[in-house]
Amino acid sequence: MEDFFNKIKESFTNTTLEFETINIKVDSIDWIDTHKKLKDEFNLKFFSWLSAVDWDNDVSVGEAPKESVSPNFEIITCLSDLANTNLITVSTKIDKSDPKIESLVEIYGGANWHEREAYEMFGINFENHPNLEKLYLPDGYEGNPMLKSFELISREVKPWPGEVDVEGMPEESGSDKSPDG
Amino acid sequence: MLRECQKNQEAINLQMVNTLDPQNMNNFSEASVSIEIETEDMTLNIGPQHPSTHGVLRLVAKVDGEKVHDVKPVLGYMHRGYEKLAEVRSYPQITTLVNRIDWVAGFSNEIPFIAGAERLMEIEVPERAKHIRLILNEMARISSHFVFNGAYALEVGALTPIFYAMEDRERVLDLIESVTGGRFHPNFNRIGGVKPAAGAGPTSKKNIQDLPAGFYRDTKVAMEKVIKAADQFQNLIGGNEVFKKRTKNVGILTPEIAEAYGVSGPILRASGVKSDLRTHTDYLPYDQFDFEIPVGENGDCYDRWDVRVKEMVESAKIVLQAIDSMPSGPLQAKVPKVIKVPKGRTYVRAENPKGEMGYYIISDGGLGPYRLKVRTASFSNISILPIMLEGALLPDLIAIMGSLDFVLGDVDR
Repeated sequence: MEDFFNKIKESFTNTTLEFETINIKVDSIDWIDTHKKLKDEFNLKFFSWLSAVDWDNDVSVGEAPKESVSPNFEIITCLSDLANTNLITVSTKIDKSDPKIESLVEIYGGANWHEREAYEMFGINFENHPNLEKLYLPDGYEGNPMLKSFELISREVKPWPGEVDVEGMPEESGSDKSPDG
Repeated sequence: MLRECQKNQEAINLQMVNTLDPQNMNNFSEASVSIEIETEDMTLNIGPQHPSTHGVLRLVAKVDGEKVHDVKPVLGYMHRGYEKLAEVRSYPQITTLVNRIDWVAGFSNEIPFIAGAERLMEIEVPERAKHIRLILNEMARISSHFVFNGAYALEVGALTPIFYAMEDRERVLDLIESVTGGRFHPNFNRIGGVKPAAGAGPTSKKNIQDLPAGFYRDTKVAMEKVIKAADQFQNLIGGNEVFKKRTKNVGILTPEIAEAYGVSGPILRASGVKSDLRTHTDYLPYDQFDFEIPVGENGDCYDRWDVRVKEMVESAKIVLQAIDSMPSGPLQAKVPKVIKVPKGRTYVRAENPKGEMGYYIISDGGLGPYRLKVRTASFSNISILPIMLEGALLPDLIAIMGSLDFVLGDVDR
């Protein structure tokens, strides 16, 4: 993995290797060129997945980021090479006010459904996608469920027990003593 | 049934034989007539409830007579929003959720997620726990392939094999149940080890729970039966002329398309690509065992079936080796009482019965992940359906779809 990482690093400067995952950060303008290069020159022909992350400080579900982040969408793809078993993730950040990026369908046919999923879940427009319509959600569904601002209705109606659920391990709460104390 | 009419011009040659004229009775003089008639393209709706869809998948197929062209899969009937749910759950709670993704092999879903959390927390899992995970993971693979064998034979018209398959699978499920307590949803993995959490450290004297008594003996018996059952399937299904005719040279998938669409697992191997994540990723100690990776030649439905049957035998061999070389020791590494995963991101993938399953965890240092991307095998595997079914015959539609061995929980998440 180290060798492959060094090889990648020669071509792409903004490359990190953390927790056994190589990540290339690119500008959204270079999105298509990067993937073309990775496919042709580095032989990463296996399209594993594409997804997005909604970075926002103001969240209505889950925990807000510990450190303040600049609100944007991060788009991540994962590619691998079946012969040499290399794996790589490519990420780019796009503006939230006008979320759009070029579609990868021309390069990797498998991006089709993944992009449709990201489109309905995050509201990201993939330009030049052959068939950008909802994949999972029913027709007429409003909103983008994976946005951090999208409320989880069941959570609003009935809060998760959370703290109440956590009990101490019986053997750690002094089980050496007899039950009488 | 939904019908859409499209005007389609087609020339049909009708051969009319004049049989009324007694003079022509002997030499059957034939009059060939060409008539232009309009046939309508029929839209055939398969599913959402259909036995061959393994759940609730809908296919909207345009058929012209017996020929299928343009298939549109409609997903989402089983969408449960795991990725959203994971944002409001803590790491131990997510283990329970992910069991339900591919319910035919519930145990396998836990492995990459747990491995991802452990990698971020930099926990070294005890060898014994790893071996137990590996054994149960292979058992899940065997039970998943049993289901495929029975169901696929049923789909192409053989009723008997499913009875054998279900009976044999039950033996494996009983073993999984005896260890984990659950047949389908074990929820057995914990961050740092496997379930009986009080197996190590100063508390090890009390409450020691390990593999049940007689587990090794029962496993040996069951695995030898699995090898026999695979042999039986080779004769019963693979040797059947009807089965061969229905599956050989049907639904051929080229490695190029498979790679670009992220098709993985037995389907990819049936197309001749020797790719198995067990051999080169370290999520479980597969490097300690000898096993072969069955590879197909043609990438047709028969190869996809054949690869899976051979894989069952290899899995059984791995389990037999693993119980012979079972290390002793604790079942659980030392982990903090409240699981907090440090900031970072990682992608862990594993070879599940259906293919590559992986979790991309973005942790912000909290109790739960900031974002959890679930990469499931069946989702990518069935995305090639429109390509594979283009131009296929209608009876082959079921044969091709069944050979992909998908589970809707694994598609919709």
